[in-house]
Amino acid sequence: MDEGEFARLQKAVHDARRPLNRITMQSELIKLALEGAVPKEKALTALDKIIAGSKDCSDSLSELVAQFSPDANDEGSPTE
Amino acid sequence: MLTVLLVDDDAEFTDVACTIIEFLGHEVLTASTLAEAREWLSKESFDHILLDFMLPDGSGLHLMESLQPEQNTRVTLITGHPSVKGIIKDMCGPNIDYLVKPIQREDLESVLQGKKQPSSKRSTTAITKHFGQLIGESAPMQELYKLIGRVSKTKANVMLLGESGVGKEVVAAAIHEASDCEGTYVATNCGAFSKELIGSELFGHEKGAFTGAVGRKEGVFEQAENGTLFLDEITEMPIDMQPNLLRVLENKVVIRVGGTKAMPVNCRVVSATNRSMEEIAESKVLREDIYFRLAVFPITIPPLRERKEDIPLLAEHFINQLNEENGSQFRWQPVQLEKLQTYDWPGNVRELRHFVHRAAIMSDPEGTEIELPKTIESPFAKKQTLSTGLKAGRTIEEVEKELIYATLEKVDGNKTTAAEMLGISTKTLYNRLHAYGDLNSDSE
Repeated sequence: MDEGEFARLQKAVHDARRPLNRITMQSELIKLALEGAVPKEKALTALDKIIAGSKDCSDSLSELVAQFSPDANDEGSPTE
Repeated sequence: MLTVLLVDDDAEFTDVACTIIEFLGHEVLTASTLAEAREWLSKESFDHILLDFMLPDGSGLHLMESLQPEQNTRVTLITGHPSVKGIIKDMCGPNIDYLVKPIQREDLESVLQGKKQPSSKRSTTAITKHFGQLIGESAPMQELYKLIGRVSKTKANVMLLGESGVGKEVVAAAIHEASDCEGTYVATNCGAFSKELIGSELFGHEKGAFTGAVGRKEGVFEQAENGTLFLDEITEMPIDMQPNLLRVLENKVVIRVGGTKAMPVNCRVVSATNRSMEEIAESKVLREDIYFRLAVFPITIPPLRERKEDIPLLAEHFINQLNEENGSQFRWQPVQLEKLQTYDWPGNVRELRHFVHRAAIMSDPEGTEIELPKTIESPFAKKQTLSTGLKAGRTIEEVEKELIYATLEKVDGNKTTAAEMLGISTKTLYNRLHAYGDLNSDSE
């Protein structure tokens, strides 16, 4: 893997980490709701955000695979 | 409570992080850009800044220029790039930390507590715990470690001799630790049970063996199978119960109270007493045959006054323990440790530990300074110095109390001998000591 490819990989992983952070934080919010520290309605919203975050993460990973697939390399431009 | 500034352009993250930080008991303000953060810093002072590395109007690191060094604000950089942490680490001073996303509640809790962590960690000096239990590097302790090391490689029964508070139970645990045996360590106090109950404690009982025996119970010999049984205050065991103990030691089988089946037992017995060997022989509190079974390898534990060089290490260990338990940051001053070494500690390590605990309670929990009482004294030592003899005007209670303590002092704290000398029952002596508030559950 050359430097350019590695930079692209780093960016893709960073993009995937963003929804993971969202999932983690919203999970913490649900824990607080279960402990009674925040209203339970917030937990429901948080669960929706977790589902959305999981989909985003899945999309990011699919995109990552697409970028680094041999077909993409054959075309000479793994990012496009 | 800390005042925290959270600088991040991710509104959703900021929202949840604020909820968590407030839940952790801190006050939090937010900024989504460098400019907003600078504005807050011009108006407020913060204990801690949680700072996103990448902000819409520049790198979070630019905010460092706006910090007043005298405010000693801690900064935690938040990054989504694990690779960035290496760069940050090199740039960071002692007041800068970092968090890598995804972030959990525990991460926030940990960095916000970080204000206290570095200093408490610095104050914790490495103190060696020999055999995982014992502290002290003095010559008498080195000798003790040698004996423990030797005897632990054998199956011999050990009798520990030493004054009250020297740590006989700790030495027993150290022998168990060094033995690499499969079984557990079980400790019991032979002086704490009535004649009726001690049989059940040691050997167990069958259901219905006596009134109140609602179920079957394993005795300590069975519980310590393949391990170590510590019998504290062995010389306080009723003399008429001793033949039963002898039978177990000789035959290595127990019969539960009310039972008929002999069960094989296999454990090392470590016993302890605060009487000297001469006293044991003279006072006849322990049958000779039992003594030779139990004291195959007698070990005398030195009193603290004979290893005063260990006092600073012990004091350091106790204060570190208290700091850890209470989140305090107490530190000894060299002059205080010297003062502790000038005292004889008649109550030995236990007295020192209680003294350190009392001093920590007396000290300002927010500070690092330990407030020592003007004088160090124990009830046992005090009786010697305060003894004023018989004078008109003193109550009988006062004189009686003084006489009890003087007698205990004379017999090294041995309650059975003291009771005999005083012409009262051991029970009465215990009742008096309870009334004086000088007897607690871990008394030896």
